[in-house]
Amino acid sequence: MDTRWLMFAAPLAICSFVSADEPLHRRIDAQIQSTADAQGIKLQPPAGDAEFVRRVYLDLAGRIPTADEVRLFLADESPGKRTTLVDQLLAKPGFARRMADQFHVMLMERRGEHEEWTRFLRSAFGRNAPWDEIATAIIQPDAEDEHLRGAAYFMTARLVSEGAMADVDVPGLTRDVGRLLAGVDLQCAQCHDHLDIEDYTQQDFQGLHMVFENVQVRRDTKFPAVSEKLMTEKKQYMSVFIQKPEETGPVVPGGREVEIVTFEKDREYATPPDKKKRIAGVPKFSPQRELAAGLTAKDNRLFAKNIANRMWFAMLGRGLVEPLDLQHAENPASHPELLSMLASELAARDYDLRWLVRQLALSETYQRTSLLADSEAAPPSDSFAVAAQRRLSAEQLFRSVLSATGELSRHGVALDAPPDSVDAAISKSDELKKLQASFKKAYANPPKEPELEFAPTVEAALFVMHDEALLKLLTPREGNLIDRLGKMEDQDAMIDELFLSVLSRPPTAEDRQDAAAFLANHAGERDAAIAQLAWALLASTEFCVNH
Amino acid sequence: MPNNPLCNPAEHTLSRRRMLGAATAGAAGLGLGAIFQPAVAEELSRNDRQVLLMWLDGGMSQLESWDPKPNTRFGGPYRSIGTSLTGVRISELMPRMARQMHRLAVVRTMKTEDPNHSSGVPKILRGHPKDRGVTYPYMGSAVAKMLGPTASGLPPYVWVKPGNGGFISKHAGFLGAKYGAFAIGSGKPPTNLVRPNSISDSDDAARQELRERFNRRFAARRHPGPSEANSYVYDVAQALMKHEDLFDAETLSAKDRERYGDHDLGRNTLLGRRLLEAGVRFVHVQSYGWDTHGDNFNAHASRVPKVDQALSALLDDLNQRGMIDNVLVIVMAEFGRTPRINGCVGRDHWPNAWSLAMAGCGIEPGVVVGETIADGTDVATEPYDIGHMFHTWYQALGIDSSHHEFTNGTQPLPVAHDDMHAVKELLS
Repeated sequence: MDTRWLMFAAPLAICSFVSADEPLHRRIDAQIQSTADAQGIKLQPPAGDAEFVRRVYLDLAGRIPTADEVRLFLADESPGKRTTLVDQLLAKPGFARRMADQFHVMLMERRGEHEEWTRFLRSAFGRNAPWDEIATAIIQPDAEDEHLRGAAYFMTARLVSEGAMADVDVPGLTRDVGRLLAGVDLQCAQCHDHLDIEDYTQQDFQGLHMVFENVQVRRDTKFPAVSEKLMTEKKQYMSVFIQKPEETGPVVPGGREVEIVTFEKDREYATPPDKKKRIAGVPKFSPQRELAAGLTAKDNRLFAKNIANRMWFAMLGRGLVEPLDLQHAENPASHPELLSMLASELAARDYDLRWLVRQLALSETYQRTSLLADSEAAPPSDSFAVAAQRRLSAEQLFRSVLSATGELSRHGVALDAPPDSVDAAISKSDELKKLQASFKKAYANPPKEPELEFAPTVEAALFVMHDEALLKLLTPREGNLIDRLGKMEDQDAMIDELFLSVLSRPPTAEDRQDAAAFLANHAGERDAAIAQLAWALLASTEFCVNH
Repeated sequence: MPNNPLCNPAEHTLSRRRMLGAATAGAAGLGLGAIFQPAVAEELSRNDRQVLLMWLDGGMSQLESWDPKPNTRFGGPYRSIGTSLTGVRISELMPRMARQMHRLAVVRTMKTEDPNHSSGVPKILRGHPKDRGVTYPYMGSAVAKMLGPTASGLPPYVWVKPGNGGFISKHAGFLGAKYGAFAIGSGKPPTNLVRPNSISDSDDAARQELRERFNRRFAARRHPGPSEANSYVYDVAQALMKHEDLFDAETLSAKDRERYGDHDLGRNTLLGRRLLEAGVRFVHVQSYGWDTHGDNFNAHASRVPKVDQALSALLDDLNQRGMIDNVLVIVMAEFGRTPRINGCVGRDHWPNAWSLAMAGCGIEPGVVVGETIADGTDVATEPYDIGHMFHTWYQALGIDSSHHEFTNGTQPLPVAHDDMHAVKELLS
């Protein structure tokens, strides 16, 4: 069981020419560079300032920058301005919200939303809670702490029956805990050892599964909560291929089998159950507690590598290990030493995710351009030689559209307002509430499907083409983008403002030419023509991806 | 395995749904450079051949349909009946098809490898070619690629299914996202299909032209996959808008609705016929709920007559409209069901000896290929794998499946399993 994971604990190897004292982001770049050199791949140059500023706002603030924010950044001539901007964004409430949104999509995979869960995530990222604390809250939710208790929604949303004939999908919960918290998809090891992956045994599945088979959804609380039953015996199971009885105690992914501690009869409970009051009781031996402790233990390499890999994916568009939930010996990372280093450093920093995001954002690897060299074929995506065109979530797109179209100013909120003020404006407007729901419908995946690559759909195209509430954002209304542009008499300045507002960059000479020609062809209806131009930019691939 | 209490079917449906529902442009990253040999493409673009695949997800029992074994150990309660083909009997649950057997070709000796839904469905729908470390397209994507869209401009590969619609690019495998399936859920039009009156035709054309112009400029020096995928969904959206009537139940005759049956499969097969008429190249009609581990016989008593009704109405219409020579109709699932009846009066998964049916374009009518042994537990004559069927169907569509190749980047790939061949008896 345990020696299998040893290879994951390979000692930290540092590139010989970059000292371990160097900041992590330099060591990241050194690793990427040396692998690319070895493969004869040329790394693309840094992104231009406009490319960078849009990218980093989307990643750290969950929206595109406003035209003013772009102008300010482009005009700044200080050498350290990218680092300064990263630090500014990390310090703002927009970053906590962006992390909460991102982890919501990653952990719930569009199963639904719950205000307690939202409160848990926002409060956790608001105080930059370490990832091991967040994971512990999810595995062993604390019903007594009103900021943490919502974490139980991770389980309760999965422990629901999907119809009269359907069993509650406990194996699905087991699988998701493995996938999302340890980067191992044990699904195919439920009935037998995994057929293709030697590392995934049936004991791994069954040992993890018994923890969740022992969990019950509480009915006595108004908020999501679970209780545990007594566990006194190992679990019996049998492979469907080798009909030989086996047994196991709880098994921690990336850890070991936990010994079941038993107590004398009537002394098993810390808080005894009360059937009359329908209180389930709290057993002294808690498999959930054991699992949470083992999973987040400092030496659990699967746990550390999973979150390092997922944060890398979030910032770079491709995991070092792909698929994200198939970590095992025969599926090595594209850059094994790099992943190992990220995991070790993150664990050593007590799972400080803001620190990791900062290091990633400061790396040259993150700041590379998405433009290809003129004559060359695209380098392989796992070389990170060119920036990826990444998917934007429904949340990022909605927030960006509100900013680009100036809709927020129309509601008396600054385009760069913090998330709470934007929420307040949305909650006051039926129109915006409806539009927010429409964005989710058009851009979110169906439930249970991870949102990974950019995935355009006909639904989304029809939404952008025909949704009346969306199109209304492009009619001139006091204070919005089209209104503002319509009042600008200098055509060049107007086109500048349009491109800076929607695409977060100045127009190229060709862009300007196209826009001017279009306006000239529709001279009699200038506002409508401006709206058409803005629509075309909003519908373009450039707006729909983080590039 | 099916009787293992730990094996929760929800798991299997989960992964199946995930496989069916996910839409990603990742595949587009492989580029659209995988071009079918130009000479062939030209030759094929001239033809107007189409396909309708009726997919009975979960696995229809061969014993309650095409290969009954009444009065044997595993035969179950239903009788067999004579058909329009002398000496050929099928289940009494299919009286209408019994009268149309002379139009049909049935293979009774399918022997495939995979007894699991989650891996078996994609294997069968990809024709289970040799593993070359690439993800093959589903048949619908492959035909969309090889024969292209028809002049209609409609998406070449459409899924008609209960539940939700969407775009399922994963079916396309290495061919790239644009060859994925356009799914119509419950016959409903996609949301926002109708353009608001405030936008005129010319305004719409103007803004779309601008959008494409900006897209081309953005894509010029970037990996083209995302922009191609994005442009494609706009193209499809615009083609679909021209066919709003397909989603309007009012345009259906009451008689048609009655003939095909007022149930999911009947309605979806009727929509399938209309999509063929509108010019869709490949229509996949999905029927769920065939995984009858429990209560197999009541389930089949309720389900098989629906296949019987919808399929016979379809064959009648295709014949009557003179479309049958151009439309290949296939009826199959990922496997059949075990002869052995389990403790829940159910039948489990059975890839070892099962049946499928086909008709129309290029297929010899009135043929039954192969026999199973008396109790149905194995094949008695030469077994056929799904690769044999892919060769057969591609040849029926005019594609020389043993010579033509896909190109994945620079890698040539056979369109069907290279050690297998078409079944001559099935080809007309």
